[in-house]
Amino acid sequence: MSITATNITKTFGNYTALNAVNLHVPSGKLIALLGPSGSGKTTLLRIIAGLEFADQGSGNILFGDEDVTNVPPGKRGVGFVFQHYALFRHLSVAENIAFGLKVRKRAERPDKATIAARVKELLHLIQLEDLGGRYPAQLSGGQRQRVALARALAVQPKVLLLDEPFGALDAKVRRDLRRWLRNFHDEIHLTTVFVTHDQEEALEIADEVVIMNQARVEQVGIPQEVYDRPTTPFVHKFLGNVNQIVLPWSGLIPGTNVPQEDGIAFVRPHDIELVHFNTGRDGDPAQVVDIHAAGPVAKVAVKRNDGKGIVDVELSRAYLDQIRLREGDHVLLRVRRPVATDYAI
Amino acid sequence: MSPVATTITTPALAVDNRPRSHIHDPAWLRWTLISLALLFLLSFLLLPLAAVFAEALRNGIKAYFAAFEDSDALAAIRLTLITTAISVPANVVFGVAAAWAITKFDFRGKSFLITLIDLPFAVSPVIAGLIFVLVFGRHGWFGPGNMEHLFAPIAPGFKEFVSGYGLDWLLGPLAEWMNEPGMLPVLFATPGIVLATIFVSFPFVARELIPLMQAQGRDEELTAITLGANGWQTFWRVTLPNIKWGLFYGVILCNARAMGEFGAVSVVSGKIRGETNTLPLHVEILYNEYNSVGAFAIATLLAMLAIVTLIAKSFTEWKFAKK
Repeated sequence: MSITATNITKTFGNYTALNAVNLHVPSGKLIALLGPSGSGKTTLLRIIAGLEFADQGSGNILFGDEDVTNVPPGKRGVGFVFQHYALFRHLSVAENIAFGLKVRKRAERPDKATIAARVKELLHLIQLEDLGGRYPAQLSGGQRQRVALARALAVQPKVLLLDEPFGALDAKVRRDLRRWLRNFHDEIHLTTVFVTHDQEEALEIADEVVIMNQARVEQVGIPQEVYDRPTTPFVHKFLGNVNQIVLPWSGLIPGTNVPQEDGIAFVRPHDIELVHFNTGRDGDPAQVVDIHAAGPVAKVAVKRNDGKGIVDVELSRAYLDQIRLREGDHVLLRVRRPVATDYAI
Repeated sequence: MSPVATTITTPALAVDNRPRSHIHDPAWLRWTLISLALLFLLSFLLLPLAAVFAEALRNGIKAYFAAFEDSDALAAIRLTLITTAISVPANVVFGVAAAWAITKFDFRGKSFLITLIDLPFAVSPVIAGLIFVLVFGRHGWFGPGNMEHLFAPIAPGFKEFVSGYGLDWLLGPLAEWMNEPGMLPVLFATPGIVLATIFVSFPFVARELIPLMQAQGRDEELTAITLGANGWQTFWRVTLPNIKWGLFYGVILCNARAMGEFGAVSVVSGKIRGETNTLPLHVEILYNEYNSVGAFAIATLLAMLAIVTLIAKSFTEWKFAKK
């Protein structure tokens, strides 16, 4: 079921959490709401869930064609997973998962055998078949997160909403679990929105990324698109590292439509070519000030000869060894592809 | 060889398992402080408790039990139990409702409400009793002498309203009841004692629950709601199981206070023997009449209540720690 949020504004006193935000999530997709803390992403998720309400008269939320703006959260058919799992600590894993079915009205409630079968099926789905009798306190963080997910899925929601689902986990579990979530989504194809402040996570598993900043949506697109063609300085800076190079700069590709006047060019460190001064033909003359070679990619800091700041360059280890770069070497810098400047064009 | 060099080259000297002076106080100081604390506990807490039992049993076990055969003593026990049976459940309901409202919802005046809950702790019990005298006394706001005056502005509207439902027959007895002195027996009667007890023992349950519920947050309740549970189900299935030990803790403290309250109850009770005396008031009366065996015998009941409370309290703390 698709989700459409139109013109959503939310204020808390003087603070604007969301400013006329629009969002469309196509049916069956996995969407990431990505942004720094305070950007309004969690508030948007909670408004979709019905846990918060948008300002009076500001807009509406549609699930498919149905307007759910004034529908209470329990009747919207959403599965919501909190960052800290919010498992019911006095209930076992199986009882947690069965909760949503057990609280239904007598007429709509499945019988005990059906509930037990559903719980078993979900435990299988989250790969915790043998842990139905455990209590939340006896589970690891990753297991708890999966139980919370199963509990949300038990009521067969129309959409699944995850608030920083991996935020409280350590790095290794985080990576495993997000790959697991991607595969899981490919199996069940439930429309899913997850909130994260981790750009790597969003770019790795989402079908589409919605980048938010200061109560607004900055850019929406598939991961490669938003990474390669950011439309605002914020997105450029937020998604990966970027150099802000003061123009004029002779490292730009001649003949592209980049003005060589005053301004700033945004260039990713791996989009810069670096050669020794005496082997190059053209480019911006500069001097290596620092080489950081731990890890698969070497990070090189280079000082421009015209005194307009430091440029970060990322090189492969193999290339670094091949050209035998040393601190203090004189080099030429040159971009590999056209770059965005100032966004004023 | 200098001493410094010896220390460095000889490991046996460098390894010293004695407590380091810079992180431990010297032994004499530790033992002095511990003895002082124990002495204090003994003389100010344990000794008086022992004295109560010793005094009560001074004339033998027979005299001790004779104190409970007195009809006034039995009436005091009954009144204390009735008062507690009403005020503790009432404070459980109020306390849970207040803690739930404060911790699970945001609203204007929330910090004012929190302050208000602490009011009975801040006000002297005697003042608390006097408040009820002022409100329900003969010339108080809701006192018998003031009812007609108080209801004068709304009387015509009220009469019309009652007539509208064909209930005119109610008006006569109602007016009679309001004007008759002593027909609203709040002061010097059980209702006044119950009200004063509820007032002084109100904060215990709420105070115990608010920090606990604040620490637990709202996520579990919100999850229950997204899963389709209604407010009632959320409370019974999620909130209550999470707070049950905190609630029990609050209840035993509230109970101890309700049974043992002296000041506020003393002001509103009027101390009519066999009618409006609670246990603490009865102890005082017996003592003032030089019946010290009787007084201390009744006092042992309250002392035992204290011991049971402490045991129950330790048990809950132990349960808490296990969780």
